[in-house]
Amino acid sequence: MLDRIREKVRAGERLTFDDGVALFLEPDVLAVGQLANEVREKRHGDRTYFNKNMRLETTNVCVASCLFCSFAKLEEHMPGAHTMSLEDAWKELESRMDDPPSELHVVNGLHPGLPFSYYEDLLRGFKRIHPSIHLKCFTAVEIHFFAQHYGMTHREVLEKLMAAGLDSLPGGGAEIFHPEVRKKISDDKATADEYLEVHRVAHQLGMKTGVTMLYGHIETFAHRVDHMLRVRELQDETGGFQVFIPLAFHPDGNGMKNLPAPTAIDDLRTIAVSRLLLDNVDHIKSYWVASGPDVAQMALRFGADDIDGTIVHETIYKAANTASPGALAYEELVRLIREAGRIPIERDTFYNVVKEHPKAAVPEAALKVKDRERKPRTKLPIAKEVSS
Amino acid sequence: MTTEKLRVLGVGYLNARPLWETLRETTDLVLDKPSEISRAIAEGEGDVALMPVAAAATLGGLEIVPDICIGARGKVRSVAIVSERPIEELEHLALDLSSRTSVVLGRLLLERRKLTPKLFGATPEDAIARVQGTTGALLIGDAALDVEARFPHRLDLAEDWMAWTGLPFVFAAWFGVPGRLSAEHVALLAQAKKDGRARIGEIAKDHAARSGLGEGSLRSYLTESIRYDLDEDAVRGLERFYAEAARARLLPKAEVRFAKPSVQVPEEVKPAKRSPSLDTLLARAADGERLSAADGVRLLREGSMFELGFAADAVRKRKHPEGVVTYIVDRNVNYTNVCTTSCRFCAFYRPVGHPEGYVLSREVLGQKLQEVVDAGGVQILLQGGLNPELPITWYEDLFRWMKSEYKLGLHALSPEEIIHLSRLENLSIRQVLERLHAAGLDSVPGGGAEILVDRVRRKIAKAKCTSSEWLGVMRVAHQMGLRSSGTMMYGTVDTMEDRIQHLVKLRDLQDETGGFTAFFCWDYQYEKGTRIQAGENGTHLYLRTQAVARLVLDNFDHVGASWVTQGPAVGQVALRFGADDFGSVMFEENVVSSAGTTFGINADKIEGRIHEAGFKATRRNVRYDWLTEPA
Repeated sequence: MLDRIREKVRAGERLTFDDGVALFLEPDVLAVGQLANEVREKRHGDRTYFNKNMRLETTNVCVASCLFCSFAKLEEHMPGAHTMSLEDAWKELESRMDDPPSELHVVNGLHPGLPFSYYEDLLRGFKRIHPSIHLKCFTAVEIHFFAQHYGMTHREVLEKLMAAGLDSLPGGGAEIFHPEVRKKISDDKATADEYLEVHRVAHQLGMKTGVTMLYGHIETFAHRVDHMLRVRELQDETGGFQVFIPLAFHPDGNGMKNLPAPTAIDDLRTIAVSRLLLDNVDHIKSYWVASGPDVAQMALRFGADDIDGTIVHETIYKAANTASPGALAYEELVRLIREAGRIPIERDTFYNVVKEHPKAAVPEAALKVKDRERKPRTKLPIAKEVSS
Repeated sequence: MTTEKLRVLGVGYLNARPLWETLRETTDLVLDKPSEISRAIAEGEGDVALMPVAAAATLGGLEIVPDICIGARGKVRSVAIVSERPIEELEHLALDLSSRTSVVLGRLLLERRKLTPKLFGATPEDAIARVQGTTGALLIGDAALDVEARFPHRLDLAEDWMAWTGLPFVFAAWFGVPGRLSAEHVALLAQAKKDGRARIGEIAKDHAARSGLGEGSLRSYLTESIRYDLDEDAVRGLERFYAEAARARLLPKAEVRFAKPSVQVPEEVKPAKRSPSLDTLLARAADGERLSAADGVRLLREGSMFELGFAADAVRKRKHPEGVVTYIVDRNVNYTNVCTTSCRFCAFYRPVGHPEGYVLSREVLGQKLQEVVDAGGVQILLQGGLNPELPITWYEDLFRWMKSEYKLGLHALSPEEIIHLSRLENLSIRQVLERLHAAGLDSVPGGGAEILVDRVRRKIAKAKCTSSEWLGVMRVAHQMGLRSSGTMMYGTVDTMEDRIQHLVKLRDLQDETGGFTAFFCWDYQYEKGTRIQAGENGTHLYLRTQAVARLVLDNFDHVGASWVTQGPAVGQVALRFGADDFGSVMFEENVVSSAGTTFGINADKIEGRIHEAGFKATRRNVRYDWLTEPA
């Protein structure tokens, strides 16, 4: 089966739904990874992208009650619920202006009590502080909510926000498109068709967007393949998706906490299959916040060419207690990429090169032993944990 | 190029002496035993070495100097299997392990006769003393010459080789590091051979006086038995030996490649025989062929992650076709953190007298052990610092108490701690191990190996034992029937060559003793407080390193994924890179956790990860016996 798929991939033939499921069932995950790596290297060589970005969630108040979510609080007065004032939100960006991010990524809950102007003002304020910043804000689910809540069409919402400074849409909120799953895990927000329609309109308005998939909960492999093929279909029509981002489900503090989290092999396989199926999407991102830096690093050899960015203020995965560190410093990301034998490229939102870093030599023996004499013994570290 | 700078190494044996006798006057000649010469060449301390052909094959990539060798056409006299009974009746054979070439030749000749006596290593004196009844000995050098007429049965190995192949046998030759030899150097070695043979009379006389062997007998040995010319027949003999040894998987596949002196060859002319392609090398490795050190370095440098993974997985699959991954439920107990070695990479130790120093009390230990018993654990991994305040009787009492109270397997004290005890108590390594074994020690953990290259050890752990001391403890432990694991910590100041050298040293000892159960490796875990900076290691290098280890360590049954140090994600993926074991469900691991790496996952999660990697899971003991039906 894999041999036939390999032939198709090498001949540039499009893979089918059955091929996708077969790739998920193939026992030799390395062989799947190698094929995905072939495609990745054909497209991007060793180039691996990251950016200097910043994430902000200005409100976690949300009318939706998704089973997988550890982040949203239903109502404003509930403990832990929090909505930032515009001034506080702007301050977050201002505080980063000594080393400004190139992109600001805002994702919020579906807050029923804010005026639409909150969002417009939010964007205008960010642009005032940092005119060249790229604003990648509000998922399709939020855009759809705005349209319903404020009585506008998707196009009207997007046009107003674009006038206020919106540059592109993030890919969140896709979850799993198939209704068998979507009904169970997030019944009270945009459907698959509504989500995709928002992206269609955004693409028509000239915006580029990303698209995600939340996997590793109650969905089957067939549901994942179906999800990817829906993305591929819209991409054939509009070409507006720049990147596909599989997101690993984290069971902690949410309605599916009894499920095991997907393991590394599943993470890597999902990256690989998406690289192979999505022949019309340029980039596959391994989002290190979701999978952890180790898996993200390995994923750079299983089809991923993007590892997200430095991120500062991420709170959604943090709420689900991922082991990932909250923010990875710029140098850490460069190191992560170099250790995978790839070329780190700092990009802007549209994958233009901001800075290309040199590829590492074969990693070995680069370390210097510090001079023993200069480190007196009395300065020994305190161990974090010494058994009783 | 002047000849002064040529660094020449040579084996110090009598039959080699005519080849280097006059070089003492013209070069910086260093004489040593074969293992030391091989190490020095591997670690870049020499340009050309008169060394056994098997050692050269194990290193790989060396070039042979034309026209010179130590060989024999028919009877050699100095390499023989001696016995009281006919060789066909031998049940045991003591081996003088000082010449690997002769050992490999002996094994080939036994194999050809379909004889399978049980082999064991011994010193020459021991070996001779053991010859009795159905126990014979493979003797080399003076020992063999000394007992030429003593035993009724004697198989001269070069003579038997000639009878088999019709070819001479080459024991040793000059091997050069590619690019280091000029035409003048080659001429110098040729001249030395000529001059040295002219002095054979003196050499025989001198050696007779030292050894007590007859001068006339030695002279005829050096002039008639030993052949110093590497003629066409001898080259064919050497090629045949390399082919037979590779077929029997006793040596890496080796070619006779002649040195092209650098001044004679225009740059555009390439050597006639090219090294094999990377694909060929990978295919050989996947097939389980023995790899030379040079092969290993090439794979580690050039092999892609997937290629290495597939090859390592093929080896894993052949060794363990059941598709089962094992793990053990045990607990790592660090009985003391007081230590005198102050290794630069360690964040765990405290010097003697430090307020944070501790020794665990029986009460605390008992609680920990009971928890292991309650959790269905089978073993304690007991390691600690080198605490000068704990005498061997403290360990003996502790072991007896643990064994009688808790009935857990005792995997305890790494070689460093054994050596520490032997120094503290003025006992031999064997005595220490025998006493601890009698008190309940079941097996020896392979910690503290770091990188078994002394240049590296001196930099990162100056006070620790040398490579040969570490290996020496394992040798004795294995000889006593104690099993042990082998480990490697890479990523400090070590090079790719050092890592491969480390693996080859473990492989050599495993050839000798068979006592290693499994191999684990990990990268150096940096944390503030350790005194070696972090380099670029990462997941990619771990997976590639583990895969290459699986390929080089062809005589190790098991390779384990070190999830405790690499994290469960990398540990799981490593199962597709040659590992067939997932280490342990650990309760604690103070040494690594002091450096900031702590991972805790329970047995269910371990099994889940094993399943998702495509394997059945089962629990094991320290000997890798399955304790449950794999599921």
